[in-house]
Amino acid sequence: MAEILIKHLVKSFGKVEAVKDVSLRITDGEFLVLLGPSGCGKSTILRVVAGLEDADSGEIVVGGRLVNFIDPVKRNVAMVFQNYALYPHMTVRKNIAFPLEMAKKPKHEIEAAVRRSAAILGLEEMLERLPEQLSGGQRQRVALARAIVREPQAFLMDEPLSNLDAQLRIQTRLELIQLHARLGITTMYVTHDQVEAMTMGHRIAVMKDGVLQQIGTPQDVYRRPANIFVATFLGAPPMNLVDGTLESVGGGGWRFRGQNVDVQLSPEVLSPPELRHEVEATGNVKLGLRPEHIRIAAPGEDGGLPGRVLFLEPVGSDLYLTVEAGGGTVQVRTDPDSPLQQGENVSLLFDPWRVHVFGADGHNLRRDAPSVGAQPALAEAAS
Amino acid sequence: MAAPGAIAEVTEAHADYARAARRNRLLGFGKGVAAYVVLTVFAAIALIPFVYLLSPSFRKSYELLTFPPQWIPHSLYTGNFHHVLHGTSYPRWALNTLIFAGSVTAVTLVIDTLAGYAFARLRFPGRSLIFALVIATLMIPTAAVVAPLYIMISRLPGWTHSGVNTYPGLILPMVCSPLGVFMMRQFISTLPEALVEAARLDGAGEWQIFRKIVLPLMKPAIVVLGIFTFMFQWVNFLWPLVITTTDNMKTLTVGIASLQGQFVTDWGVISAASVMTIFPMIVVFLIFQRWFVQASMAGALKQ
Repeated sequence: MAEILIKHLVKSFGKVEAVKDVSLRITDGEFLVLLGPSGCGKSTILRVVAGLEDADSGEIVVGGRLVNFIDPVKRNVAMVFQNYALYPHMTVRKNIAFPLEMAKKPKHEIEAAVRRSAAILGLEEMLERLPEQLSGGQRQRVALARAIVREPQAFLMDEPLSNLDAQLRIQTRLELIQLHARLGITTMYVTHDQVEAMTMGHRIAVMKDGVLQQIGTPQDVYRRPANIFVATFLGAPPMNLVDGTLESVGGGGWRFRGQNVDVQLSPEVLSPPELRHEVEATGNVKLGLRPEHIRIAAPGEDGGLPGRVLFLEPVGSDLYLTVEAGGGTVQVRTDPDSPLQQGENVSLLFDPWRVHVFGADGHNLRRDAPSVGAQPALAEAAS
Repeated sequence: MAAPGAIAEVTEAHADYARAARRNRLLGFGKGVAAYVVLTVFAAIALIPFVYLLSPSFRKSYELLTFPPQWIPHSLYTGNFHHVLHGTSYPRWALNTLIFAGSVTAVTLVIDTLAGYAFARLRFPGRSLIFALVIATLMIPTAAVVAPLYIMISRLPGWTHSGVNTYPGLILPMVCSPLGVFMMRQFISTLPEALVEAARLDGAGEWQIFRKIVLPLMKPAIVVLGIFTFMFQWVNFLWPLVITTTDNMKTLTVGIASLQGQFVTDWGVISAASVMTIFPMIVVFLIFQRWFVQASMAGALKQ
């Protein structure tokens, strides 16, 4: 087990800069999820840590040792690939034993280690089978067994669940969480699936276009997104955004005005003095509201944002409404038993404490929202 | 009760349906017959030369020159085969051909697989240029290089004697085919990159990755290239003709050609020798036929 430290990592492929000055610290035993859309550079970071790609600049430190110029195998990290990368011509036993055979371990030691790994992942019955005779979930377990057999300092997992069907993915996700709890090996896990990120990670590092957007616990990242990208990438349906302007009112408070929207925001939500310059300089802002923080006003309740129901999407546990309001469409998560009909006029209510306000550069202006540069974990790793 | 008009309509519809079904069946049958006719024609075109070769090998020489030509021999005369085996150096030529084609195939497989792996998986400066050069050599006809090759082989420095009439002289210039390099490179390119990376992380060196991961997965491609090379060299004529001058170094093709006399040619004997030469190739092809299918499917079956 070991801590992984990434300092000012830069990596380009030709003219494309895949990773732009990323610094990260993954503490010993931590499960860190790198989350972002395709092509955001998350897999590249993983591959650089594994040693499959060389960093253009920056340092990779695993277990206190600078590994930039060390062979992949000597970095003592194990990688699990999206397509399992099992050797098709070898039995499960041979697949699991392969890293130990390469390390020229004695036969009896290999045999014992293979049996131990197979037992952890419940593969004892299929040791003599070939990968093609296994289901997707079983193949993924073999890949994991091959990764744990040489007792690595860290696991690097590159979207290991994305080739599995929905049900198996949930099951394997749980197995991975259990496996991590049991072995406690430092893990970097790459995914574009926010549910995986939220359920598995101790912390989530959100990336976009090679730049680290935010790092924090799942709750942090969800509740206090650093910018519009993080706010809209996490959450399904995504956060609603309403265009408008911000002006200061007496007593240090703020007032957001959009089309049909007029909200008073307390100084505890938005930070007053430094914000004034920013708002004056940039002008327009966006109001962000999560679908679950909006509710449909009861008959007789007033003061809400008027709108008209465009679509209803029942998903069983919830009902998603698309409402035409505030000069655009707003998504609302509501009770699945709601009697609302398409085309019905409704009034939307929300708690001004729950809103986010994003400046013209996309940053969250809420007082409790982090700004990337000021995050202690990053500053520490970069130093 | 339904109106009489309605009943008539229904009956009419039934009749229509029945007619359409009959037409459809006939059409299907007709298509089947047409397919067989076309296939039979092509099969005949492919087979007739073999039959034409097989027939005179079982006939006496004087029977060959009758008019109209006979396709089916009156009696199965095996004297031609007997003569080939005992009256010529056929066994020696066969041995030479086996050594020649076998060695060329073995060395070609080693070189082409390694080169293909390097071009597909290793990164080195000038990779694309070198690969383009290798492919460009495909455009040079063999006939154009025969003379320079002969001069090279006959004057190879360091050789105690000329390479003419020696196995190395026969084998070496035919070794390694650019087409084979290309084929191996394409095949290796279809193997998932993650396999190689996984092996690298598991501690395998470049050679171990090649030997333990890539090579076993290339079996279908290797078998196909092996058969192609072997068959091609088995009937290779031009180079063995140039580089061998003594009877005991000739290969089958050159040997058979030498049976043709300046004034008298025993076509029965030549036919028999040809049949004996072709037959093993047909057997080899039939045995390994499924590998050809596998190799052509290999791209589709990758995980």
